[in-house]
Amino acid sequence: MKETLQELIADVSGFDPEDITDDIDFFEEGILDSFGVVHLLVKIEETFGKKINIAEIVRDDINTMDKLIAMVENV
Amino acid sequence: MIPYEGLLFFYILAAVLVVSAVLGFLGKNQKYWGIIATLFMLSAIFDRGHEWLLIGFIAFELIVLYAYFVIRKKSKNCLLCWLFVFLSIAPLVLSKLSGILTENVIGFLGISYLTFKSVQIVIETYDGLIEKLSFIDTLYFIVFFPTISSGPIDRYRRFVGDINAEISGEQYSDLFKKGVWKLMTGVFYGLVISNLINTLWLSKIPESGLFNHWQYMYAYTFYLFFNFAGYSRMAIGTGYIMGVKVPENFDMPFISKDMKDFWSRWHISLSTWFRDYIYTRFAAVSLRKKWFKNIYMGSYIGYIITMTVMGFWHGFELHYIVYGIYHGLLMCANDVIEHKWKGYKKIRRKDKAWPVMALITFHLISFGMLIFSGRLF
Repeated sequence: MKETLQELIADVSGFDPEDITDDIDFFEEGILDSFGVVHLLVKIEETFGKKINIAEIVRDDINTMDKLIAMVENV
Repeated sequence: MIPYEGLLFFYILAAVLVVSAVLGFLGKNQKYWGIIATLFMLSAIFDRGHEWLLIGFIAFELIVLYAYFVIRKKSKNCLLCWLFVFLSIAPLVLSKLSGILTENVIGFLGISYLTFKSVQIVIETYDGLIEKLSFIDTLYFIVFFPTISSGPIDRYRRFVGDINAEISGEQYSDLFKKGVWKLMTGVFYGLVISNLINTLWLSKIPESGLFNHWQYMYAYTFYLFFNFAGYSRMAIGTGYIMGVKVPENFDMPFISKDMKDFWSRWHISLSTWFRDYIYTRFAAVSLRKKWFKNIYMGSYIGYIITMTVMGFWHGFELHYIVYGIYHGLLMCANDVIEHKWKGYKKIRRKDKAWPVMALITFHLISFGMLIFSGRLF
């Protein structure tokens, strides 16, 4: 799942997958912005076949790779 | 009496906050004292004639909120949500059009901020995020006096969490210190620096001439920042002392690297409200339903819609609408640069690029403030 999410983040952000490391904050590093978050969540829905209530998602809950993985697993 | 202006307001505020502080340091919950203090402050701030307008407005909004809360339990019809959003904003629209409610209500933007709170509750009720709508908590959220005139715009669930939390005296001590600091620096920004800028510079600039428009642009930008940021800090500081961690509204906006950065630093509570309740939702629908061949069109149109609404929210006068559209176009341009220029995001992260980016962004911001001031219209 982690590699898939790295590729999805790279796809929506324009960064290389190698830049999407475990220790960074996606928003502070400018990797994701408002549209990037929505785009990523929609791609996660399409990739993993899950329905995400975007209104429930708070940035602090998905701002790192570990938190993002946890969110996807709990949906 | 205008909030955060004049000695009388601060004398009364001091008396209120002394009681808050005593309760806080004793580890007591301040909710009921806060409600009493709010009702007292509102009666002191409003003149008698407009008190009834405010009471009528709040009663109407509470009816709308509770009616939709009941209806939502039976139906998640999107059109019904839209209907109740329109009902909630109807008084604001009427007031903007007719000037009935904006005159002599708390501050110029008081009704606008109250409406934000109601609309937010309707939308989050639709989302299923609000499972309980306590009358006392909802009333307190809507009329919370520190932020009633011009924000910052708080979030219902966050606010309710704060007012019902049990805070120890030790935990309150940290809140109190931060609150006092914010209140004092807010006074300095809003009552000292902004007044000096106005008295010594802004008010002395002649009305015509290109050079005068140019210097007015800078003077007004700094004046508006210190005035509004000062007010916000006073409101936030007061909130902290009353046990409510009111959200921040400004974070060094003039060091912004680009327009997206700017809107994460200027009037933050407003920009995040528009982001969460308009832009993000439009973008999500456009992506899920694949409205546009170019997926980024959803972002561009989302920004135009969001910022134009923001312009109208300030007022129906032409300069406010142009201001909103101007920022919508700037956000689109920011987006286009990010999508077309592959290296932009990496350059943006580099410290060396900051001075040039900040200088350009500052001038884009300042020109927007010149539009907002109405001087060009």
